[in-house]
Amino acid sequence: MMRREDLTARVMRDMDPELFDFVTTYVDSFIKWDLLRFFYENPHTMDTGENIARYAGRTAEDVQAELQDLTRRGLLIEMPVENMRVYMLKADPEIRARLQRFAEATQDREFRRKVIYHMVRH
Amino acid sequence: MQNVKRVATGIPGLDAMLNGGFLPRTANLVEGAPGTGKSTLGMQYIYEGARRDEPGIILTFEEFPEQYYRDAEAFGWDFRALERQNKLKIIMSSPEVTKADLENVEGTIQNLIAEMGAQRMLIDSITHFEGLHQDPVKLRKLMYGYLNALKRQDLTLILTRESTHLFGEGLEGQLDASIQFLADTYIMLRYVEIESTVQRAIVVLKMRGSAHDSTIRQFEINAQGLKVLQAFEGQEGVLSGSPKRMSESFMKAFVRR
Repeated sequence: MMRREDLTARVMRDMDPELFDFVTTYVDSFIKWDLLRFFYENPHTMDTGENIARYAGRTAEDVQAELQDLTRRGLLIEMPVENMRVYMLKADPEIRARLQRFAEATQDREFRRKVIYHMVRH
Repeated sequence: MQNVKRVATGIPGLDAMLNGGFLPRTANLVEGAPGTGKSTLGMQYIYEGARRDEPGIILTFEEFPEQYYRDAEAFGWDFRALERQNKLKIIMSSPEVTKADLENVEGTIQNLIAEMGAQRMLIDSITHFEGLHQDPVKLRKLMYGYLNALKRQDLTLILTRESTHLFGEGLEGQLDASIQFLADTYIMLRYVEIESTVQRAIVVLKMRGSAHDSTIRQFEINAQGLKVLQAFEGQEGVLSGSPKRMSESFMKAFVRR
């Protein structure tokens, strides 16, 4: 019987290498996926985790942890503003172009299925 | 002040009411009920700026940028293309974060204004500031500092504010008196009922340092955006939402029955 890792690896194998790299670097939960879409659609957002959670329709605790993780992975920047922690999408054009490619790829049902496989495996 | 170069809104009829446009580095309040056209007026102002190579920023609280892209597209204004050309940025944030950021030396907004060479800004809407303080004095101080921080950046601002009443006078909330005082120009948009049809009215109630047209005018929102039309003639009480013909009120006032 085929092991689960082998099946997922097979499903992911034919994914575009750049997209594969983006998915494996940044997308390991549905909340992160939501946040990536949010920052793609609203690229100049500058706000606290609590407010971003409200915009994304998720709980502040869940979103805060994922925002910090995306910051550690280099997609977002976290800035102290007064006594608040404010998150923004990195201005780096290369990162924004990669995010755009990912967002556009998610229009395709097959690609979304692969990303879900990846998240389930993770 | 009459010879200062004006900041044109590009809205047919409105610039004439404003004696050529807003004065530079001023905060200009547009107040009206939901759907009267406050955001459209603001977007048209920003679009006109981009067209004249005067980049602009839309600062939105709780309204998603996606909504602006879509609404602008309906008027044939490609905001996404303007963003790519660095003539426009739509920032989604909250009053508390932007306030703190503006107080910082080299804050994010300040850097963005400098990088783009922004000259115009739409703040949509300042109603959200009311959540920051219950005390009207503190709120007024906060707004005063906030607007000055933006004017210091050489921006000419449009601030929108929601009125909760669809018709007539409907100002309420902590910001009422403060913001009308702090704003350099005060433009009011109103729904008006005339002979069983709802029409839109615009009036410039105040314009600090400048002459302006103070007649109450009709306006429409068509496929190109806002267009200011003729004055409401032969009517009085237009801002109450249900005007009367002059002769009728004259009769009531002066003719004994």
